[in-house]
Amino acid sequence: MANNLIARGLKRCSTRRFLLWIAPWAALLAFGLYSAGLCLVEGLNQTNMDNRFAFGLWIFLDLTVIALGAGAFFTGFLLYILKVDELRAVINSAVVIGLVCYSGAVAVLMVDVGQPLRAWFTFWYPNVHSMLTEVTFCITCYLTVLFIEYLPIVLKNRKLREIPTFLVFEFELHKLIYVLAGVGTFLSFFHQGSLGGLYGVLRGRPFAFREGLAVWPSTFFLFIISAAAVGPSFVLLTTWLVEKISRKPLVRPAVLELLGRISGLLLAVYVLAKTVDTLVWINRTSPESGFPAAQYYSWRPFGTWILFAEIVLFGLVPALIMLTPRLRAHTGWLVSAAAMACCGVALNRFVQTIQTLALPTLSFDKFLSYYPSWQEVGTFLAVVAYGALVYSFSFRYFQLFPEERERYQI
Amino acid sequence: MTHYIFFGAFYTVIAVVAATLIAAVLRSRRALVSACQVDRIRWNSEFHDLPQRDRVCRHVLTGEFKSRECPHAFDCRECETHARLIEKHPLAPAGEPEEDLFGMQFPLDRFYHRGHTWAHLEPDGTMSVGLDDLGRRLLGVPDAVELPQPGTRVHANSPAFRVRKRDADVRVLSPVDGEVLETGGPGRPWYLRVRPESLDLTHLLRGSEIRPWLMREMERLQLALSLESAGATLADGGVPVADIAASYPDADWDAVCGEMFL
Repeated sequence: MANNLIARGLKRCSTRRFLLWIAPWAALLAFGLYSAGLCLVEGLNQTNMDNRFAFGLWIFLDLTVIALGAGAFFTGFLLYILKVDELRAVINSAVVIGLVCYSGAVAVLMVDVGQPLRAWFTFWYPNVHSMLTEVTFCITCYLTVLFIEYLPIVLKNRKLREIPTFLVFEFELHKLIYVLAGVGTFLSFFHQGSLGGLYGVLRGRPFAFREGLAVWPSTFFLFIISAAAVGPSFVLLTTWLVEKISRKPLVRPAVLELLGRISGLLLAVYVLAKTVDTLVWINRTSPESGFPAAQYYSWRPFGTWILFAEIVLFGLVPALIMLTPRLRAHTGWLVSAAAMACCGVALNRFVQTIQTLALPTLSFDKFLSYYPSWQEVGTFLAVVAYGALVYSFSFRYFQLFPEERERYQI
Repeated sequence: MTHYIFFGAFYTVIAVVAATLIAAVLRSRRALVSACQVDRIRWNSEFHDLPQRDRVCRHVLTGEFKSRECPHAFDCRECETHARLIEKHPLAPAGEPEEDLFGMQFPLDRFYHRGHTWAHLEPDGTMSVGLDDLGRRLLGVPDAVELPQPGTRVHANSPAFRVRKRDADVRVLSPVDGEVLETGGPGRPWYLRVRPESLDLTHLLRGSEIRPWLMREMERLQLALSLESAGATLADGGVPVADIAASYPDADWDAVCGEMFL
């Protein structure tokens, strides 16, 4: 029975082995759901956040997974709009990654905001002066688009495609997928930007405040570029990981190299833009707010090392590796560079949320420290486990890598 | 004003997504009315899932092209290139001993489908459809056969009948369009007798095309079997046994048949 659900020509492990693989993830998910349930039932007193430190592990997670999930929109944009046909080999995987990241982020937001039964208020009574409204609208819309993009992948399942309605709907929907790719690009472009803009407009937080273009602070553009840069890196990293775990070649090495090249190019643009932005901030924006920039880095552990790590170690270095053909051709270097790029974006989102809130801004303020409670960590782990489970089931029962069948036979 | 622009953009996006879904549903409803259309979609979808090297044009098999992917999902009836090439270089009649290829029987009075079925025009204008010798040896003695009822319409490249062998559930593709008149089975020389809709069989292989095609099929079979950890295998030579499945008791026969029957 289970064999009939697996795509023809693909080799998958036995059901027993698969159950052994998913059991720990399922246990982790159960623990995470319990933690999230506690937060929803008992309230946010279960967390170590408070009115002063309102953004914690969850918002850091949201920003990071949404940046990493950008591979879905960017790969779709490159494949369906710019016709980079080589990326067909990873598009299904990118969609699953995007779906997992965005749905995980929305689920955590529901726990963070609380009162999920009133979630519709944000649409019915939108606060039109808040960038968060744009973020909520765009993320909800894009998640819907991702669900629709995921449908053809599910309906291509060997058993489901035997039902003519599913077969035909999948075929017809797939023909229109470029429309959804275009919509996804439009939505992603704005919500990635708005997430960055959220911090850039905080005049009361000179560490995060940035000047920009018209109503958009520079962080609006930096978030877009950084997400577009690391999205392909995360797709590359995931593909490599799945290849290692499943012990199967899934795509041609040239596809991974192409992803690396795209990522490297955008990362180089990001590093350049981020460097210019940081120099303007150090020399103009911050002093004009009454804070010499060096002051922010006198609070330990947030020394200047964090700036160096963000821009040079996890920005410039992976960009150079991925832009050097000789290094890029070596899987070890390529994968390490992709992992570094992903760490870089996570560090950037950490700086934007945690470091921003930890630094004092008023004379009577203190440097705050925050350490997540186990309920927060549990909810965080639930998203990781959920992602691993959805991806594992998708990999087993759907054809995430169209080249797998031929790669396997080489 | 900016609020109107924002909400305008937001609702436009929702409208575009909804319109895309509705368009897909409407187009699906239209296609679902015709069984022929559903079969065409099924084959097109399955054809594009085939590994690239299995989608090669028949003229690559005969060496006329170095590499070319079939743009018509193996339906050469609508291929202008095929028509032009056949007009330019008509198929040479096969040599005398061609019926015996690699120890298998491939009678030259039949037209062969790349999914290992054949069609034979009978004197009464009907067509018999059966498994070719390699297909027969792959399935050996089937565990079960599911044949269509007389009166059913079959379409070229769509499932004609199903065969179960061990863990394999194989749908065998029809070489022709037509109405099923009578069903046979493993014990008879043919599986279906069909009243054809057209006698245009240009999409099927014949004559001198069979040898190069079969040579490639033997390579594919070797590859598929080697993946099934068949263990020590004779490198070359020999003739396929009558029931190949029986010789590979541990192989995932569903995967092997999935490869060979397209």
